Parts: sequence; C-alpha cells; structure tokens
Amino acid sequence: MLPLEHLHLEHVLQTVSVLEAVVRRSFGPEGGQVLFTQDTGQAMLTRSGTRILTALHLEHPLARMVVECVWKHSTVTGDGSKTFIILLASILRMIHATARKEPKASHSYNSTKTAEAATARYLADKLLAFGLKDLHDLIAREVVPYGCCVTWEDFTAKQSSSLTDNNNVQKLVASFFQTRLSLTHSDFISDLTCELLNKWKSKNGPPSYSLRFLNDNFPALHTRVSGFPISSSRLIEGQVIHRDFATPLSQADRQPIKAVVFNEYLQPKLLNTGEVLELGRGGRVMEERSIVHFSAWTERSLECVIANLKTLGVSVLLSAVKQSAAVLALATQAQLCVVECVSEDELALFAKLSGAAPVTDCHVIQPEHVAKLTFCRPILLGAHRYVHVAFQASEEMIMVEPCSLVICAPVEGQTEQYTRAFHDAICMLHTTWEPICATLTASQKTLESCNFLHMDSQAASTIGPGCVIPASGTFEFLLNRALQKHCHSYTVSSDTSNNFSVSQILATALLSIPQEIYSHNLRCFLQTQTRILNCISNDFHPSTLFYQPGHNSNPIQNGGPPEGGKLSLHCCRKGDVSSKVFVLDLGLESVSCKYQLLLAVLQCVTSLLQADTILRTHTALHTRSHRLANSSPEDTEDEFRD
Amino acid sequence: MALNGDEEDFEWEPPTEAEMKVIQARRERQDKISKLMGDYLLKGYKMLGVCCDVCGTILLQDRQQKNYCVSCQELDSDIDKDNPALNAQAALSQVRERQLATQAPVHAADPNAGTASSSQANALVPQPRPEHCEGAAAGGRATLPPPTAPAPAPVATTTLAPTRPLVTPQTAALQPVLDEAEEAVLIKLRWATTQLQSSASLEASIQLCSLITSCANSLRSLKELSQ
Repeated sequence: MLPLEHLHLEHVLQTVSVLEAVVRRSFGPEGGQVLFTQDTGQAMLTRSGTRILTALHLEHPLARMVVECVWKHSTVTGDGSKTFIILLASILRMIHATARKEPKASHSYNSTKTAEAATARYLADKLLAFGLKDLHDLIAREVVPYGCCVTWEDFTAKQSSSLTDNNNVQKLVASFFQTRLSLTHSDFISDLTCELLNKWKSKNGPPSYSLRFLNDNFPALHTRVSGFPISSSRLIEGQVIHRDFATPLSQADRQPIKAVVFNEYLQPKLLNTGEVLELGRGGRVMEERSIVHFSAWTERSLECVIANLKTLGVSVLLSAVKQSAAVLALATQAQLCVVECVSEDELALFAKLSGAAPVTDCHVIQPEHVAKLTFCRPILLGAHRYVHVAFQASEEMIMVEPCSLVICAPVEGQTEQYTRAFHDAICMLHTTWEPICATLTASQKTLESCNFLHMDSQAASTIGPGCVIPASGTFEFLLNRALQKHCHSYTVSSDTSNNFSVSQILATALLSIPQEIYSHNLRCFLQTQTRILNCISNDFHPSTLFYQPGHNSNPIQNGGPPEGGKLSLHCCRKGDVSSKVFVLDLGLESVSCKYQLLLAVLQCVTSLLQADTILRTHTALHTRSHRLANSSPEDTEDEFRD
Repeated sequence: MALNGDEEDFEWEPPTEAEMKVIQARRERQDKISKLMGDYLLKGYKMLGVCCDVCGTILLQDRQQKNYCVSCQELDSDIDKDNPALNAQAALSQVRERQLATQAPVHAADPNAGTASSSQANALVPQPRPEHCEGAAAGGRATLPPPTAPAPAPVATTTLAPTRPLVTPQTAALQPVLDEAEEAVLIKLRWATTQLQSSASLEASIQLCSLITSCANSLRSLKELSQ
C-alpha cells in the first residue's frame, strides 16, 4: 500500500508562500540580486525569478509544479516570473479566505475541510472561465485606452527629436532592464538592444517576424566575453562562428569569398564499431584486396572532391563534424580553409543568411551550395579566436543588416546574467508585438470571440500589437478599478453572484503587486493610486497618463528616497487642477505580457487546486531522499514499506 | 449553483474580537514561517515533500541530510507554552489555579497557604516509585496535584525550608487553620501507620517510615506555630 498524504488548502498556501518569500526581495525596480555559489566555485548572479526558482532544491511536488509553470510562462513571455508568484500567492489567499467564509453547502461533505477544498476548486474554475472569456474585453475596454500603441518605426534611439513618442520602445526596453540588471548599465544595454533591433528590422515584414527570428536564433547571434567591462559590449557586423580555423588561413584576395557547408564526413570513416567492410566486391578484379588499397582509393576520390571545389572557386569549408587528417592535409595543399565542428544552430543561421544550402552528398556540389561572403577572417574576442564572416547582400537579405552581439562583463556569472536579460528582452518584445489571437490556442478562444475581434473596427477594443502602459502598478490599479465596476454591475442579479465574487477576488489580489512594488514606502503607493484614480475620474484624456513635454513648472516630488528618477511623480502646481498635464515617469510595460501573465496564473491556480493527494512511490534513485537522519545508507528499500 | 447554498446549520458570522486576534496571530506566525523557510531555501536547504508530524509544516533538509522543521525548532510553539510539563511558567500558573480552587477551606494568608501546600506536598516528596505514588495519591485528597508534575514539588520544597523563618505573629484567625492542618497531618500519620503495619515489602516500609517522619516534623512545626 503506497503511503498517501492528503493535501489541504493550507499546504498549497504554505508552499506558494515560501516561494513568494524567496522571490519578493528581488522584485520590482529596487529589488536585490541573488548570488548563488556552487561548491565548484562557480557563481551565478541573477534577478530573474525563473533563474532563482529553478536553482532551488525542491522536492515537494507542489513546489516543483509551480516552478514548472513559472518556467513555461517565462519561455513564452520572457518576463514576469516574480509577478507570477506574488499574484499566485495572493489569489490563493483570497480563495482560501472566501472558501472559509462561504463553503458550498449544496452537497454534503465529510468535514469543513473537504467543503472548503471543493469551494476553492469551484472558485478557481470560475476564475479561469472569467479570465478566458471576459478578461480580454475588460482590459481592452478599460485599460488599453490609458496606454499607447508603439509602432515599429518609432524606435531608433538615435533620433534626437524632442518628442517623447519616439523613445517609447527604448523606454519599454529600459524599464525591463532596470528590473533585471543594475541601474548603472541598464541605459547602455537598452541603447544597444535598440540598435540591434534597428539593424534587424526588416522593412516590409511585420515586426513580429524579425523579433521571432531574433528570438529563435539568439544563441547563435551572441558571443560572451568575460574579463572586460560591460561598456565594451558592442555589435559587430555579420556572424561570428564560435570555432577557430583548423587549417592555416590562405590569403585569398579575390572577392567574394565563397564558402560551402558540409554536414557529413568528406572521407568516410573506414571502420566504425559494428560495421563490416567487405573488400573486392562489385565484380571488378583488383590486384590486391587489402585495406591499404581501399584507403588509397578513398583518398583519390577525396582529391576529386577538392578539385571540384577549386573549380567552383570555393575557399572556405565549414564542417559540422571533425574531418579526418587526410582531408585537412589535402585542403591545406589546395589552399582551402576549413572550420570544423561548427554547431548546428550556427550552420542553420549561416544557411539562412547566405541563402546557400548545406551539401548532403560530397560528390555532388552545385552552385546553389556555394555561399558568397564579403570577408572571412579570424577575430579575437576575449581569450578566444573565432571566425568572423560577413555576407554579401542577397535579394532576400537586402532588408536587414545582419549583426552579432558581443556581450562583455567582468566575470562569467555576469555575462550569463546579461545574456539572459538580452534574450528575455527580445522574448518580451516578441510577445508585445505578437497579435493576441495568434498566441491563444483554438481551444481557449472560441471562434465567436475571434470573429468579434476581427469585426470590430475600432482598434481600442482589442489589445493590439505594441500596446504599452506605464509600469509600476498602473495596469493593476486600472484593472482593479475596472473589475470593481464590473462587480457593481452584477450586484443586482443574484444568479451571477459567482461572477461578482470572482471579480472581487481578482481585483483584491491584483493590488498585492503594487503593494509589493512600493513595500518600502506605503505613502508612495497611496499617492500613486490616488493620482491614477484622479486621472480616471476627472475624465482626463487617457493619453495624459503618459508624459507630455514639460509643463511641470512646479514639480512636487513625492516623499520617499530618490530612486534615480524612476519612481518620481511630477504633477502640476496645486492651483492648476484643471490643467490636463500630468507627467508620470514610471517606465513602460507591455499589456499583452500582463494579460498572458494573468491567464497563466489563473491556469496554475486551477491545476494546483485540482491536486488532492500525494502518493509516494519509491524508486531506486530517490530512496536516499526519504531517509531519516539516523539510518545508514546501506538499508534496503523494503524498510520503507510500512 | 449558488455559493451561499441551501440553508444548512452553518451560517457564517464575522469573527469576534478574540477570534480575530487569534487569526491575526496565526497569520503572522505563518508569515514568519514562510520567510524563514524562504531564507533557508536560498541558503541551499532542500524542501522535502513531507510534513512535520507535530505541526504540519513542510520539512527542510540540509546538506548533511538532516531534517529540520522551522516552526518546531526555531519559533516558539503555538501550543507548547500552555503545557505545564514543558514550561515552568505554565506550571506555576497551574499551581496558582489549583490554589485558588482549594481556597474555600483554607485562608489565603501566604505562609499558611504555603505551609498547607507543603504539608500536602510532603506526601508526594518521598515517593519516587509510580506505584507507591499511586497508592499514596489514592489515599490522599482528590485535589492533590498529579504526582508526576515536577514543578509543584520544587515549589513545595522551597517553601518547606522557609517555613520557620516565615513565622508570623499569631492571631486568632490563624488558629482554626492550624487546627485543620494538624488534623490533616494526623490523618495522614494514622493512614501511614496502618499501611506500615500491613506492608510486606522492605522499600514500602522505608517509604512509609519516612512519611511518618515528615508528618511528625510537620506536626512539630504546627505546634510551634500555634505557640
């Protein structure tokens, strides 16, 4: 009989509260960094919630489930893992409080605990249903008008116009980096990111296409260099192949340099384990049938291949595998450079950027396998020498300027942190510009609502691509207000009392996020809330929640320590209430990322509350972990069968 | 399906003031536990899938494979502070409670109360064996504190010594109290004598002899007090 353990709501709550306690100190723009050290001496520095949670030792199944949900969410949106946990904890607390107050009495239950558990499950299901059905429209109606849509064209950081609109993408990226990296470098890094995006921006495609391309190929598009200051990070033209030349570089001065990609061995390996080589077959009479003659024959065929390559004018060979010594010798003789053991990602990127397909059969090399490069030379980055190639502009690639990112940092732990931050930023931007219908699966969104979205001509009724809103709690305050209005519209009819309570739960739970952001300064929280609600209730034009160029002749700074200007609120003179000028300098965040976050949290809540019992199964791998402190390791598994 | 369902016997009422305090204290305790556990997780402890048997908190395991329960081993327990066996404070309060309960026959004057309880507790002190304790307790009064409680014994023994220095000037109100105490001791003495006569084991006899000795001592002190 396997040992059972019944799960109660308190267990779930305790597990999630512990995870919340772990991440809350790194949350928000003022959050701290966590330094993990291993016994090997490796250090990892991070502020990313996913990274922190996946580095913990967790054996509790609920905790692992939550961390997996966070990880999956983070791979899709790139951001919001700490917000996920905090929101999850507060929703569970609200459900717990509500379930204790009003347990469902329509069925008879054994105890109050089972009644509470059933109510909690019911509430979670209702919340999820609300989230899938009504939340999108609610956000589109009540929150999106206070944001703005950032268009793809607006984002060069170099544009020196005084209009603040053009810097929206830069602001969006900067506020993301301020939650991930230190304040000193976030501006520099966000400028670098904008430059990268600018170079990769394709002129006629939708922005989500190039963002997806960047996101998928990011591992091949960056190089990590440790030992240099962060300000030496830069963009370089073309692609960096993270291998060195295997043969000496020939001084080929003819342009363009032609390269061919090989996936297979040029000279077949003679004897692998399990293979049987039969010599002298095929009806031809040979003088001697020995292995020496066979290998001589293979070398002769290799010479044909090399000669073929020479006639095509190829001077660089890129190989996915390690070629044999004979190949390298013949290539050196023929003045061909060989680069071996190139990773698959880089070869795929090379093929995409150059338009040349890799060679499958080495005896058949056609002109479409030949890639044209502007240059192919070694580059020294940090302590390593790599191959640096630049592509000649072809017809497809004429839109973009391929470039590669070099990320420098003093230690390896920091290079990893910055690389992840870059990757997550690109992921976040991709989610921002991805149209919402495309991201939700068909099972979640019914056909009717999709049609509704398409039929609706007003852009304000949907969460359009590129929609952003001021950060640091604005989204939560606005949505809280919207949900409470939604609640009040339901108080009359009693049969929709369920919707009433779930909206109330969600509304109250949402406030925990700005409370956490402003946890060091409660006054700041109240003031931000008041300002935003004033702006709504006085029917100011929605766009005044954003900044307008300086009418703030008498800025009144709020209390609290100065935080590098990130959270400072400026408002107009006290006498000038009717003026519509209202400047918020809180940074920007993406609305669709927030929406996805809410949906993911609601789904996690539902799946957490579905779990009822834990069955412990012992496998040979895990017997150690369930042992008590005193038993010796030689005890057998049977001791645990109670 | 309405949430506030059918009219069952359970109607939710807002919690009272005391209940609110309890709820608040419990919530703060849970928050403290979560914070401590979070800190330990960041230090490299492993969160296990089992709960503590005593308090139900999730167990942590450190690098040396030792299990650790945050609430049992670090925080003061919720219920332990009320258990007299573990907490001297609770034991003292329990003694005071019993004294207040038995106050009707006895006056509340301190030294005499001390003497009365000491003479009662006298019966307990020379009884190390549970079976003898049982016998003595069965013969004694029902209001005697349980024999296994160590706390009342030290309380009683400390009051034994200062019995003499604590002698206060006699007043007429004290006399009936002393008479009653004397009577109680005499009853005990009589009982011990009968037990001694019928006792078969050596150790039982020794115990009973020492009981008689202490009863005699108490009688002497009482006589001195009344003089």
